[in-house]
Amino acid sequence: MSEKAKGKMTVFKTDRHEDAAAMVFVSLVVAAVLVYMAYVVPTVTIKPNQDGKVVAIKVQQDQEIKKGDLIYTFEYKDKKFVNGELQEKLATKDVLASTNGKVLTVGVKEGDMLKKGKTSIIVMDHEKGTLP
Amino acid sequence: MEERKGMAHILAIIPGLAVMIGTLYLLRTFVEPWMKEAVVFGQKGWLVQVLSLNYILLSIIAGIIYRNVFFGGKIPDWAEAGFRTTRLFIKSGVIMLGSLYTLQKLAKVGSIAILLISSFVFGTVFFVLWYGKRVGMDRSMIGVMGASCGVCGVSAAVATSPGVNAKPSEVALAIATILGFGIMTMFISPFIGKALALSDYQFGAWVGTGILNSGQVLATCLAFNPTFAPGTAVAYGEIWNVVRVISIPFVVFIITTWACKAEAAESCSTAGAQMKLSKVFMDRFPIFVLGFFGMTAMSSLGWLGAEGSNTLHLLRDVMSWIFGIGLVGQGAYIDIRELKRAGGKPLRVGLVAGTLKYVVALVVIMLFVSKDASF
Repeated sequence: MSEKAKGKMTVFKTDRHEDAAAMVFVSLVVAAVLVYMAYVVPTVTIKPNQDGKVVAIKVQQDQEIKKGDLIYTFEYKDKKFVNGELQEKLATKDVLASTNGKVLTVGVKEGDMLKKGKTSIIVMDHEKGTLP
Repeated sequence: MEERKGMAHILAIIPGLAVMIGTLYLLRTFVEPWMKEAVVFGQKGWLVQVLSLNYILLSIIAGIIYRNVFFGGKIPDWAEAGFRTTRLFIKSGVIMLGSLYTLQKLAKVGSIAILLISSFVFGTVFFVLWYGKRVGMDRSMIGVMGASCGVCGVSAAVATSPGVNAKPSEVALAIATILGFGIMTMFISPFIGKALALSDYQFGAWVGTGILNSGQVLATCLAFNPTFAPGTAVAYGEIWNVVRVISIPFVVFIITTWACKAEAAESCSTAGAQMKLSKVFMDRFPIFVLGFFGMTAMSSLGWLGAEGSNTLHLLRDVMSWIFGIGLVGQGAYIDIRELKRAGGKPLRVGLVAGTLKYVVALVVIMLFVSKDASF
């Protein structure tokens, strides 16, 4: 490596080149993720985004679902700052299908506790070309 | 040794990059899960919950250990090209963070962020110009230190240096001082945030204003709340960070103009004498932030999948890996010997300016920024 290259904090000629490279790199990464999710991923497992409890499950095995259909309703602790005070109350949230597809398995039933990012709620085969 | 070209240039990157990726893999797969289960002082997960030692902070610590323990203070030739991809990963991560917002959400907090960042960036620059002169620092050192403390430890110092005729050693000193300060604040800020019961919104705004390096802002926010999602500390902190990064060309212009006015016309550097705001803006504008806004536009149009979808989840997981790789590299650019050398007046000015900004930002945020999140 030349002395000129040593001490530089980038492998690119200039910061501008590095900025452009970062944008190209992200474009490739995002394109890869979108294509993978739309066309390659075989099945999709829906997991909760927060801890809670299943109040109602509205789909069953082998059911065809459409984007926007209600999959399940869960109860969670809603924490919000109101006038500077942290308030906590029970709330419910409906989770809708983000794409068309077919339910392969249902992993929970009413009353089950949900663990953020862990519990498998349903496994579905989504319509190719859509983003689950 | 000759400058590597083409394929050799790319191959030279592999060993260092492999170390960075391998380190992150070990930290995420083995070290962090072990820390979450480990019982310390009778509490399970104490290391993660109390010390906020998640994989993000561990990445930086690992990088510091590589540089200062295993590499003996200098990144070896075989790894140097790979480690120099650090900023590529950090910038890529910042671009991807644009997916956390929609244009409406940005508009909601954007004006507050612009107001706060402008006040603190230019307030700090003017303070350093005044205080540096008062303690008798060289004008060139004042210039790069003003840029470092005002807007961004690394990029702004490098961008300002030609206009103020700063020596490479002065740039290195300014960067070392401000990165050292950032390391300290990175570890204490989550404790302060939790002790003062700051909300994610307040914490993000404070850290985005008070800490001076994109990687350190991100690491501190994730130490406070390790979730990459809308409405979390990292989502708010990054808006402040992006606004700060956008102000780099304006700071370069102000400092260079100040340096030129302060010197006799004949001794003013050519670069400085010919400086016009429009030219500085075109030359120095960090174009990667356009990518950030591009991602926000895609998110607003729903092209990245619905919020909570598996697609966005995977995208954010990939983003966390990209940041983690960059942060291992960032840690390896922290040379403890250099920090020790950064003594005397520059250290004093850097610490006073950094601390003042950090503390005043906290007070302003606690007084004027509501705990209730804007989105």
